[in-house]
Amino acid sequence: MARKTIFIDFSKCIECRACEVACEREHDGRSFISVFEWQEMAAMALNCRHCEKAPCVEVCPTNALYRDEDGAVLLAPQKCIGCLMCGIVCPFGIPELDLINKIMMKCDLCAHRRAEGKLPACVETCPTDALFYGDFNEIIRERRKKFTEKAIELAKTAERIKLTGV
Amino acid sequence: MSERLVPVVCPYCGVGCRLYIRSVDGYPVGIEYAKDIPGIANELGKLCPKGNAVIEYLLAKDRLKKPLKAKEQGKFVEISWSEAIREVAERLKDYAKDDPNQLMFFGSARTFNEPNYLIQKLARMLGTNNVDHCARLCHAPTVTGLKAIFGAGAMTNTYKDIEEANVIFIIGHNYAETHPVGFRYVLKAKERGAKIIVADPRFTRTAWFADIFLQHYPGTDIALINGLIHIIIKERLYDEKFVRERCVGFDEVVKAVEKFTPEFVEKVTGVPAELIIQAARTFATAGKGVITWAMGLTQHTHGTENVKLLGTLSAICGYQGKEGCGCSPMRGQNNVQGACDMAALPNVFPGYQAVTDPEKRKFFEEFWGVELNGEVGLTTIEAAYAAEKGKVKAYYIMGENPVISEANANHVVHVLQKLEFIVVQDIVPTPTMEFADIVLPAAAMLENEGSLTNTERRVQWSFQAINPPGEARPDWWILSEIGKAVGFDGQGPKGFDYTSPEDILREINACTPQYRGITPERLKENLAGIHWPCPSPDHPGTRVLYKDKFLTPDGKAHLVAVSEYKGPVELPDEEYPFLLTTMRYVGQYHTVTMTMRTQALRKRWPEPLAEIHPEDAAKLGIKDGDWVKIVTRRGEYPIKAKVTRTVKKGVIAVPWHWGANVLTNDALDPIAKIPETKACACKVIKITEEDARKLMDKLPQLIPKIEIVRG
Repeated sequence: MARKTIFIDFSKCIECRACEVACEREHDGRSFISVFEWQEMAAMALNCRHCEKAPCVEVCPTNALYRDEDGAVLLAPQKCIGCLMCGIVCPFGIPELDLINKIMMKCDLCAHRRAEGKLPACVETCPTDALFYGDFNEIIRERRKKFTEKAIELAKTAERIKLTGV
Repeated sequence: MSERLVPVVCPYCGVGCRLYIRSVDGYPVGIEYAKDIPGIANELGKLCPKGNAVIEYLLAKDRLKKPLKAKEQGKFVEISWSEAIREVAERLKDYAKDDPNQLMFFGSARTFNEPNYLIQKLARMLGTNNVDHCARLCHAPTVTGLKAIFGAGAMTNTYKDIEEANVIFIIGHNYAETHPVGFRYVLKAKERGAKIIVADPRFTRTAWFADIFLQHYPGTDIALINGLIHIIIKERLYDEKFVRERCVGFDEVVKAVEKFTPEFVEKVTGVPAELIIQAARTFATAGKGVITWAMGLTQHTHGTENVKLLGTLSAICGYQGKEGCGCSPMRGQNNVQGACDMAALPNVFPGYQAVTDPEKRKFFEEFWGVELNGEVGLTTIEAAYAAEKGKVKAYYIMGENPVISEANANHVVHVLQKLEFIVVQDIVPTPTMEFADIVLPAAAMLENEGSLTNTERRVQWSFQAINPPGEARPDWWILSEIGKAVGFDGQGPKGFDYTSPEDILREINACTPQYRGITPERLKENLAGIHWPCPSPDHPGTRVLYKDKFLTPDGKAHLVAVSEYKGPVELPDEEYPFLLTTMRYVGQYHTVTMTMRTQALRKRWPEPLAEIHPEDAAKLGIKDGDWVKIVTRRGEYPIKAKVTRTVKKGVIAVPWHWGANVLTNDALDPIAKIPETKACACKVIKITEEDARKLMDKLPQLIPKIEIVRG
């Protein structure tokens, strides 16, 4: 079974940064999602991808990084030694060092909210649905369905035009 | 310990989002998204960054906790509530005895309907119609313009209709940045296949989603809209049946737009002719269309004409009185619509009943039990000029910050120094407060309860989530105490003896036809709220206005034509070669009194940046991040430059939150009395950081430190 994670549709991102503020509120003033602006035009939010083959989990010498039952990559603070290995191998540069406690910190897909059956805060708040939480296979299936519907509609219109002889 | 989850309305923009505040023993600890309330304005409980950060400003260290009295300018002593109320009431009575028109009252679009009703009742019972609020500076042309055409000045449809439209024309409005949650409905329509047309002098984040983008010069809206109407009429794309049956004045429109050929419009606006033709065809042939606008369109000396033309454009295409159609002016603050409905305006009684109409006046004279003034009062800018001449001597300012928010701010500061008596009722120190004689600490929106009306005429009840700090009191309480102290102690509507906001709403139900069925009981039961007009307690509310007839005397839409092209009153010349326009950021709100006290927002949007086109910047030798000084005929303002292609050549865009209104023009629209904040001539000079700091010290401090002295 594929795991659920946060997907990002950057064509819908309006750079309002509501996700950052929401994440910051849920995580004691630190945001694990960042919105980047590209050439004044497109914006894109970037957060931990909770990779299928997560290099941070693979490389962690103390097994401080692990997966919970939903498949989110979490960090056990008592095991972390702050060696920064995960930060170096992560292609997105996600794990950050907490300068006070000298341990790493990262997106936990709002574990406390998931425990109550809620969505991660950034997904819940995104005004344009640029962020959504789901299973990759389900998302793909949904997109195929939408595409098919559109194609059928188009075909029907074409037929109508032919019938009326326009 | 008692933990509660209280449903409230977001205290920021006009979308009217609902959320829950999590509070422990009256102290806020967090928020929760209102996912479980069906039919609210923010579907699935979505919130923008400001909505996500509603708690921090409530905990600001400098919240006002005790009434203050000024010893000298900016230095205050603490006094008790009874003293403060007695002093305010006595001074108001004194001025009212000589000439009530020496008084000026400011309502507030940032507080509930009830205090706005009370402040205008107080003003009118004292004998003056000098009451106004900041809608004057944002949507006054919308109210006057739409009223002339359709008979009422409100949004004619709802968000649902934006979602159902086939074409959405967004003009003078950075929808994505000003109302992110509202923009959700535009994106949903686009996903369904709707076309988006955006007209804006800047390439905004909204424009990024446009199918057709018309980048016109600031202030050339009349030419642009006339151009669209010209093409729609010439190509016979308008709805002939709708025009014949439900509109009057079409022939004049045909004549008036004759000269606005695409070629002429291209010359004036800088938009290619073929794009204008394409936009007109797309808009007129879509079947269902919505027009939405905001300050970019209204803050001009011809704001009213702009709105009238948009109304005409919508009507000739038949986009009125149907679902998925309409005109949507987007309000900037959460209760602009409500404050207007409650008549915090100089020319009307609650429910837009003209003060000059003897019959309406008679009704209110009997209702309130006093004789009323039948002359239209002063608007905010007019009051400033009247104060300069000594005609207005006292201001009562509730939840407003004219030093930053009004055009030509230097003049406003000059006026405030001249006034004899100023009362400021607010939640935190503002630059305006430095000139106050009496400061009344108010409870913030989430600290008391009442009803609010969002931009789509949806009236909602917001509950009290937390306790106000110190001795801060709800606005309605302060105003009713002052009313009683002035001597209005009659029974029921004839006095100010209220025990709760519900009492006041019941009184509003009795005198405002649109709100007759919107009772406190219904609002508390139905969290999603009710759209006015709602004429009786069993009426479900009205989603789309004008289904059968318009509210004009003859029931028809009065189409308006503007044959003369008018641009901004102040155009670039040799001395001031650039055209200045103002804008806003998604994470900052109004005059930053709330948002700059919120760490999460201050950190992300810390300072203003002036947008300048790369070619202009190269000519002036300005690089990204350089300090520049922007100078107009009214003032100068230091700011960092951002070199970007989002603005057209020759245009400078400056965010107004941080006090850029020292630059803007206060030339007025003759009908709506709105100043031309959106366009004026300016020059740009490169300066050093040291000079910039020196200049900044001369400007009013955005977050002033109030000095409290003893005795």
